[in-house]
Amino acid sequence: MAEQPLLQACRVHKTYRFGAHGVEVLRGVDLAVHSGEWLAVLGSSGSGKSTLMHLLGGLDRPDAGKGEIRFRGEPLSLQPGSALDTYRNRDIGFVFQFYHLLPELSVLENTLLPALVFGARAKRRTALRRDAEALLGAFGLDHRLTHRPSQLSGGERQRVAIARALINRPAVLLADEPTGNLDATTGAGILDLLAERHKQGLTIVMVTHDREVAARATRQVHLTNGTSDSAAAQ
Amino acid sequence: MYASLVSNRYLTSRLIPVIAVAAVALCVALVITVVSVMSGFLDMLKASGRSIVGDVIVSSGIGGMPYSDELLAELRALPEVAGATPLIDTIGLLRMPYPAGPQKETAHVQVWAIDPASLTGVTDFAEDLYWRAPKDAATADALAPDDPRRSLDPAILEDGKRLVQSSTNTPGIALGMHVSVGNARQRDGSYLPRYGWFMPGLEVTLTVVPVSGKGKIAEPREQIFPVVNEVQTGLFEIDRNRVYIPLAEGQRLLRLDEAPLYDLTADPDASGNYPVIGRTPARVTKLLLRAKPGCSADALRDRVQATYDAFADRIEADRLRTASMPRFVQVLTWEQQLRDLIIPVEKEREMMRVLFSLIYLVCAGLILSIFWAIVVEKTRDIGILRSVGASRTGVMWIFLRYGLIIGTLGSALGVVLAWGIVTNVNPIHEAIGSDAPLAIRITAWGLASACAVGLCVTALRRKFLPTLLWTLGTIVLSAAALGLTLHHGTLIWDPSIYYFTLVPDKVDWWAAGTTAVGGVLFSVIGSAIPAAKAADIDPVEALRYG
Repeated sequence: MAEQPLLQACRVHKTYRFGAHGVEVLRGVDLAVHSGEWLAVLGSSGSGKSTLMHLLGGLDRPDAGKGEIRFRGEPLSLQPGSALDTYRNRDIGFVFQFYHLLPELSVLENTLLPALVFGARAKRRTALRRDAEALLGAFGLDHRLTHRPSQLSGGERQRVAIARALINRPAVLLADEPTGNLDATTGAGILDLLAERHKQGLTIVMVTHDREVAARATRQVHLTNGTSDSAAAQ
Repeated sequence: MYASLVSNRYLTSRLIPVIAVAAVALCVALVITVVSVMSGFLDMLKASGRSIVGDVIVSSGIGGMPYSDELLAELRALPEVAGATPLIDTIGLLRMPYPAGPQKETAHVQVWAIDPASLTGVTDFAEDLYWRAPKDAATADALAPDDPRRSLDPAILEDGKRLVQSSTNTPGIALGMHVSVGNARQRDGSYLPRYGWFMPGLEVTLTVVPVSGKGKIAEPREQIFPVVNEVQTGLFEIDRNRVYIPLAEGQRLLRLDEAPLYDLTADPDASGNYPVIGRTPARVTKLLLRAKPGCSADALRDRVQATYDAFADRIEADRLRTASMPRFVQVLTWEQQLRDLIIPVEKEREMMRVLFSLIYLVCAGLILSIFWAIVVEKTRDIGILRSVGASRTGVMWIFLRYGLIIGTLGSALGVVLAWGIVTNVNPIHEAIGSDAPLAIRITAWGLASACAVGLCVTALRRKFLPTLLWTLGTIVLSAAALGLTLHHGTLIWDPSIYYFTLVPDKVDWWAAGTTAVGGVLFSVIGSAIPAAKAADIDPVEALRYG
């Protein structure tokens, strides 16, 4: 019997409505992400990569009755909004192309944010703070803890975003063009960092339009005209 | 936890919350200041009213109440009564000593014929006598050079207290402070003689019309009285109309004194007189009573009413009595008696409270618009928070909490600001009424000049926003400096016109509390709409387009 996918998209359709008109972005996408895998979703601009990412991450829902997202075999579409909030907080970590850090919070506070949303008890906060400092230290940011995002370079910001995504030890890291806003050298550094985490067992789903970036993943999926097409593992 | 972190950071890292806090503080301070001053005036009015008529007033018809001494003795024996006094309240004409020449001015007045000694135990009559010699040389030196109190005969106060001119042993009259046109009220609340007419020592002629118990008008009677003092109660309506004469003189002039009782059914004697069969007792038209501490005016009124009814029944049953008590007398508390004065002020205060409470809506609208702008600006942040698992209620709470903090800070600041204004309202008022000090004028012009320099520098650098801000600063500060230079004092509350010499300076803490709670409540209400909008933001849209 085949291993159950950790995260799965089953014939997922997604249509965006603009008044009376609808644009169908995803047209029956099938995707299975297994535990410990680093999957790259390749596609050109407008192919629905980010939409798929949002659906996998529980930020959005597929069209009613047209496919579903499963996590550990459980359909997310049947879950209430509060359960999806918990899913995003505990099981998923998001990394975005434009970092998406809160400008008013320091590096440390941005990193701790998911843990605070988790509702860490006072006793745990000291331990969490130590975890966050260790994580940021491992990413070479231990001298930037009190800095604001505006005081960091692009690569540093993305490293903070990855640290934030990992603070609650999620099952899956969803990275949307994680190097899309960085130069080649800095981007390679970020991919090295992801590769290191992948080696430690982290499951990664990475969306990109860059074949070289996608080449770092263990498996690639092409998204064309709203449908998926699996490619060989690297 | 994250909600407090995010809302605290939003609060401390931006200028716009400071503007919102300042707006709430100003709204709250405005309401508290206005209501406190209005409540202060009402309290002063009530305090003055009680000090003028005591706690309870018993009023009969024009025929008066006989046996008032016996009735007063019973009333004074009541455990609730601290003091009681009889008086006659009527109207009269007062011929003034001015102007020079045969034609004199005549004023219509309310005449109170009083027993000064017992009235002092019920009202503040003795304290209200205005003219009194200074206690010592230092007090005298502090008075204006032309203030007549500097050279007053010390006997003037005692004469006023007794309503007797001691130098001639003649019954005297005390006039309300504004009955005569000769008293000019000054800004500090004191009086100086005007047109050379200083009333104490001058003579006036009082004319009253006796009216029988059956309502028949008798021949008017007049009497010349020396003015022994003048009375300042603080209530202009009373000080403008009322004069005080001794009770015995009033009873005599109005034919309410003790008199022979003739048998009109018998035949008259040779000289036409009917036989005397007894004496009718003297009468008064009012009794004023002061309650002992701890006894309310309402409780005393009920007790006095019961005592009067029992006394009237006893007199009625006593066949040896030559007069009966009036069955229908009014027994009113001082608030009921002075309702014509108090109720309009109460209504004004409530109207002001309602009108100024509309400012809450401004406060809520201001918070709403500021928060709406913040939510629009922070759309991407909301998407980020949702992506890390923040719930919709969590996002809403961030902004509600933000509103709560702004409302609480603004209200607290508003209370402090109002306290500062109200407790210093008289010095502030005094400063407004005086020329601006030279140092302040120089400072204002200096700041305006500094702004003008800033304006020139930024204009040369061709920066629009700084140039606009420096221009506004220059205009506002120049206008302020010009205003301070041209300002030569404007008293808003001129004691020479109004009843009270000082603006009330006590904070109405009940109003302050309710206003502060209202400020917090309306700030939260104002933030609720943007908070709900924030909660409804689609995280995908927020991340993509925010």
